[in-house]
Amino acid sequence: MTEEEKSNWLSRNTFHHGEFWDILKLVEEKEKKDLTISLCIPTLNEEKTIGKEVLILRSELMERYPLIDEFAVIDSGSQDKTLEVACNYGADTYLASDILPEVGDKRGKGENLWKAIHQLKGDIICYVDADITNIHPRFVYGLVAPLIQRNDIKYVKAFYDRPLNYSSGLRPSGGGRVTEILTRPLFSLFYPELTNVIQPLSGEYAARRDVLEIIPFPIGYGVETSHLLDLYYKFGIEAFAQTDLDRRVHRNQTTNALGKMSFGILQTFINRLHAQGKIDQLPDMETFYRRFEVEDGAYSQIVQEVIEEERPPMIEIEGYREHRASLAD
Amino acid sequence: MTFDTQTKDSTLDNLLKEVPRQIESLRSIRETFLTDAVLLGEIPSPTYGEKDRIRLVIDRFRENGLQDPTLDEFGNASGIVQGSSGNSTILVMAHADSVFSADTRHVLEVGSDFITGPGIADNAIGLAAVVALPKLLSHLNIKFKDDILLVANVKSLGRANMEGTRGFLETMSRPTKAGICVEGATQGRLSYSGLGTLRAQINLNIPSDYDWSSFGAAGAISHLNRLINQLMEISLPKEPKSKMTFGGLTAGSSFNTSPRAGRLRFEITSEGDEVIDDLEKSLHEICEQFSLETGTEVRMEIVAKRQNCGIPFTHPLVKTTRAIMHEAGITPKVDPSTGDLNAIIRAGHPGITLGLTTAENLREENETIHLEPIYAGLAQLITLLQAIDEGVCEI
Repeated sequence: MTEEEKSNWLSRNTFHHGEFWDILKLVEEKEKKDLTISLCIPTLNEEKTIGKEVLILRSELMERYPLIDEFAVIDSGSQDKTLEVACNYGADTYLASDILPEVGDKRGKGENLWKAIHQLKGDIICYVDADITNIHPRFVYGLVAPLIQRNDIKYVKAFYDRPLNYSSGLRPSGGGRVTEILTRPLFSLFYPELTNVIQPLSGEYAARRDVLEIIPFPIGYGVETSHLLDLYYKFGIEAFAQTDLDRRVHRNQTTNALGKMSFGILQTFINRLHAQGKIDQLPDMETFYRRFEVEDGAYSQIVQEVIEEERPPMIEIEGYREHRASLAD
Repeated sequence: MTFDTQTKDSTLDNLLKEVPRQIESLRSIRETFLTDAVLLGEIPSPTYGEKDRIRLVIDRFRENGLQDPTLDEFGNASGIVQGSSGNSTILVMAHADSVFSADTRHVLEVGSDFITGPGIADNAIGLAAVVALPKLLSHLNIKFKDDILLVANVKSLGRANMEGTRGFLETMSRPTKAGICVEGATQGRLSYSGLGTLRAQINLNIPSDYDWSSFGAAGAISHLNRLINQLMEISLPKEPKSKMTFGGLTAGSSFNTSPRAGRLRFEITSEGDEVIDDLEKSLHEICEQFSLETGTEVRMEIVAKRQNCGIPFTHPLVKTTRAIMHEAGITPKVDPSTGDLNAIIRAGHPGITLGLTTAENLREENETIHLEPIYAGLAQLITLLQAIDEGVCEI
């Protein structure tokens, strides 16, 4: 993809939730295309936030505007009142272990997302994490809207404002610590096109059933990474879109937890490198590091050349050897 | 018993019979108003900073079917549920401002039977009831002859001294049968009078030429302490009932430096207007004397002053409200208002204030409302509107 094509993709396939404020119109388009939409929230001990998510999303997007046809909470075996609270506000609640019991039970968010494909009926499945404290209907309609309106889009990722630095109207589009330290450098090296995805690890996304059912799901931290790599491999960047959902407030993770997450992501990544033949036939190493900046609402990719030049061991330098020898004399 | 009275009694009886059904029916659409309560409650709305919350109110009024919701020059949002005759109006108000600053983290937690977070009781849930009322009435298939004028009023609390409500009422020219103020808490509250109130702030400053070596020299905190002791020695009459409340004391920022400035906020409420007038004079004299004796600058600012007003306990509006509360299983507790009801009654309209549900930790960041009582709380409001519409509450 040329720089111009990249720029086109960014402008054509990057949305802001504000473009989809007319939910009634979305409902009409959805019905005209005879689409059904399922919403899935994977949970594990989320009683503090799940009530508000179910209340607001169900009330606004099922009762007030019938955009969502099915609302499910799929739980990994919470010890708190997560399922009771979710059920109280009208969500269909499931234990992941009860779905497809013949394939066994694995513990992890990816397991719940994967089993949702079997359990839910929708043509489109929208996944929203359970720990969002500023939940709003935009977290769902902002993701499903591109799939309703554009047949060529198969998978829509969320990205958010992270108010790290607002001085002089310029702020880095921070994707979170693991994104910036691990994922973006890896993508810059091996999958430069995927660096156009501003927040590749965001936990909110919507996809068509016919693409979700043909890709494997890591059950742990690697699920978001694997979706991007596998769908990119099959369909290219054109299958993706991303929507700016403004601000997302959630729990802050400890550095230890992020280390564990990075380890899982790295495993998934290396597995894909093997599967896609990139380990055996490593391409020339990219030397361009790609990140994003946003100014006045417009996102632009900043490309910086980072060449990690190396010096040989000092012992191989003649001048050094002579110097050391003179000292010994 | 006149025929007219018999008719009123019979009409009220018929309305009361519907209360249990209403409670159950409202329970079935609770998401409608609970969602509004959460969405409204998570938008900070300090007094004089209600703009964002009011913007959502206008949107929700429109989404809930009101034709032309209006934002007035004072910042109040209003909309009308059109009645079949529209000959008169019933006013339903809820204040949109909150005691919490914009810096407070406005995140609410929704449990199975509670909602917790700053301002949910005072007054996000009250405001949500007003905003959702068109939906609730439609769900219950209730229609009115009168217009129902819904108002989310701003600048109600503290120093604002009901500025929003007063402005709204001064510019409203509709014939008004009655006004109802809706508060989130506490269920059972029955206010039909506005209490005479004096809110004041005393600012004490140590002047730059203050003689720190003189006898009794001290910092602002010590002086304010002595001043508070003097205020507490003021003899308040038992009749008419009167009360002094110290609500805020601010001074200093360290452990070991005497501050040069301090601020005391307090309120005097009394059922006697003359008591308030006399106390105001005394307070000015105490401040002046204190200033001269201590060499400090003491300035008292009257933030709000309201006279007593009200409708009688025997007024049909009060009597009807009590009957409805009884039917809804709510125990009335008479509680004179220091809020917007005062402005409604002083504008010449009969009015009351109702509370929707029970609450804990009022005006704390973990303010909590209980959900189960809300359905009865809403049913009392809707049935009272029906009774007013039917003319049951007129003298």
